[in-house]
Amino acid sequence: MPSSYDRFMAVLDGRPEEADRTPCVNTTSVATLGFMDAYDAHWPAAHHDPGKMARLGSAAHRLCGLDNVSVPFCMTVEAEVFGSAIDFHEGSARWPSIREFKITEPSELSIPEDVSEAGRVPVVVEAIRLLKEEFGGVVPVNAYLAPPFTSISSYLVDSISFLKWLRRSPETVHEFCRATLDTYVEIANLYEEAGANVITLHEMGASTDIISPTHFDEFVKPYLREITRRVKTPTVLNICGSTMTILESMMDCGATAIAVDERTPIHGARRIVEGKQPGYPIIGNIPAYDVIHAGPVERIGEAVDNAVKDGVDMVAPGCDFWLETPTDNIKAFVDAVVKHAKT
Amino acid sequence: MSESTRERVFKKLTHAVDLGDEELAAEGANEALAEEVPPYDAIIHGLAEGMKLVGDKYERKEYFLPDMLLSADAMYAGLNILTPHIPKDASRSKGKIILGVVEGDVHDIGKNIVKVMLTASGYEVIDLGRDVPTPEFIEKAKSEGAQVIAMSTLMTPTLMSMQDVEQSLDKEGMKGKVRTIIGGGSVSEEWRERIGSDAYGKDATEAVSKIKTLIDTIIATAESMKEEDGSS
Repeated sequence: MPSSYDRFMAVLDGRPEEADRTPCVNTTSVATLGFMDAYDAHWPAAHHDPGKMARLGSAAHRLCGLDNVSVPFCMTVEAEVFGSAIDFHEGSARWPSIREFKITEPSELSIPEDVSEAGRVPVVVEAIRLLKEEFGGVVPVNAYLAPPFTSISSYLVDSISFLKWLRRSPETVHEFCRATLDTYVEIANLYEEAGANVITLHEMGASTDIISPTHFDEFVKPYLREITRRVKTPTVLNICGSTMTILESMMDCGATAIAVDERTPIHGARRIVEGKQPGYPIIGNIPAYDVIHAGPVERIGEAVDNAVKDGVDMVAPGCDFWLETPTDNIKAFVDAVVKHAKT
Repeated sequence: MSESTRERVFKKLTHAVDLGDEELAAEGANEALAEEVPPYDAIIHGLAEGMKLVGDKYERKEYFLPDMLLSADAMYAGLNILTPHIPKDASRSKGKIILGVVEGDVHDIGKNIVKVMLTASGYEVIDLGRDVPTPEFIEKAKSEGAQVIAMSTLMTPTLMSMQDVEQSLDKEGMKGKVRTIIGGGSVSEEWRERIGSDAYGKDATEAVSKIKTLIDTIIATAESMKEEDGSS
C-alpha cells in the first residue's frame, strides 16, 4: 500500500497519476490545543524543545492520518535570528509575537555568522532530525519558514513603516531583503540536511489583501525566485489571502507547487495555472476556521468534495490550523479526502 | 469666501489624501484656514471625502495597504492643522469611544483611519494604541465612562483577544452598558456573533456609522428610562 510519502512526492514530482489518492496535507502549522494535550507538547515549551516540537508536529499524522508532518509552529523563527525580541507568552498557548520593533534600518540587522546556532534554528533542525528518524521515507517531513517579505514586514520591522517604504523608499526594502537573503537560504538548507523533504515558504504577508500585484513582482518575487533556486528540496509557496491576480507571478517564483486558502477559488486558479503550465500542482483551500475548525463533519466533507472536484492536487487548509480545532474535525477532514481514493 | 473657493479647497484636500501627499494636504489645510473655510467642513468634505475615495479604491483592489497608509498620513497632516481651529461648540463630543488594536497585534492602520473619521464626526476618541492588554480596555472604559469599546485586529491568531475582552466585560457586569464593535482584516460577522460583540464594521465607514447607531441607541434607551422614572 502506498505511503503518505509516496503519494505526496508523486504529486510534487508531477506524477499525480501514480498517487493512489489525493494527499491531505498541511504544510504550515499543524499545532492545535488538542494535539498539545495529547502529546504533552504545549506552547511555549514546544517552540524550544525539539522532542516536544517533533511530537506536536507529527500529532495530526498520528491521530488523524494527515499525509505529512510539519515544524515549526511559528512565523518568528527567522526574525529572531536577525535580532527581533520574541514574546512567547509564557504560561499560555498564544502565537509568539514581537514585543517591540527595534530595527529601523538595514544597518541595525544582526546577520549571524553561524546560522546553525542562531535562535531556534538548532531546535527546529533537531526536531526535523527526530521526525526523519521516525518517519523518513514513509511520511514527508515539511519544514516551513517565513520568507524575507513576510518575515521582515511583519516580524522584524514595524509593519506600517515597512509598507510605506514600498512607495516612499523602495531601496530600503530591497536592502533589507538583500542583506538577509543568504540567511534564509542557509536556514532552509540546514532543514534539508536534517531531513526535511519539502520546504514551505509561508508568505502570508504578500497576498493582494496587503500589497499590489506590482509590488509583489517588485519586492517578493525576485527573492523567492532566488530562494527556490538555491534550496535543495522541493518547495511549496503558500500564500493565505487573496492571490487570484498574482497566481502567475507566484508560479514564476519557481516553487514546486503553490498553496492557497479559501480566498483563492480553486476552479478559477486551476484555469489560470493550466494556461501557463498545465499540471502545475495547486494545494488548498479548505477554510481553516470556518470549516475545519467550525465543522460539522458534513460541511467538512462538502468542502473537500468541492475542492477535489475543482481540481486541487493536494487538499489542505492553505494556512495554519486554528488552535482550537477539535481533533475529530481534523480526522473528518482527512477521512473526507481518503474517501476520494481511486478504486 | 465663494462657493468655488470652498469647492477648490475641498478638492485639493481630497486629492492630497488620494495621492497620499502630506505636503499637499498641509497646503490645502492652510489654504482652508486662510480662505476662512470652516475647518469642520474642510475635514468632512475634503479630508474624509478623500479617505472615502481611497477606501473605495481599496475595496476595488486599485489601492492596497501601502496606499492606505500614505493616504492616512496625508489625512493626519491636514487634520493636525485643521482640528485646533474647530470652534468649541461644534467639537462638543457626541459620545466617548475607547479604541484600540487588541493584544498580540500591532497592525493599527485600520484603527487609525477609524479614529480620524470618528474624531472628524465629533466623537471623543480615547486611543489606546496597538497591542492593548485586555484589562486596559475594561479599566479605561470604566474610568472614562465610555459608551463604546471599538477593537480591531488584522491577524487571525489575535481574534481570541477580542473574545477575552467580551468575557471580561461579562465578568465585570458591564455587558450591555458598554457596547462593543469589532473590525479588521480577519474579523467577520460570524466572529461577532460567536463572541457576542454588539456590532461588526467591515470597513472604516461602516464602523463609524455603526458606532453612531450604538451610541444613538444608548442615548435613546437612557432617555426612555428617564421618562419611565418620571411617570412612576
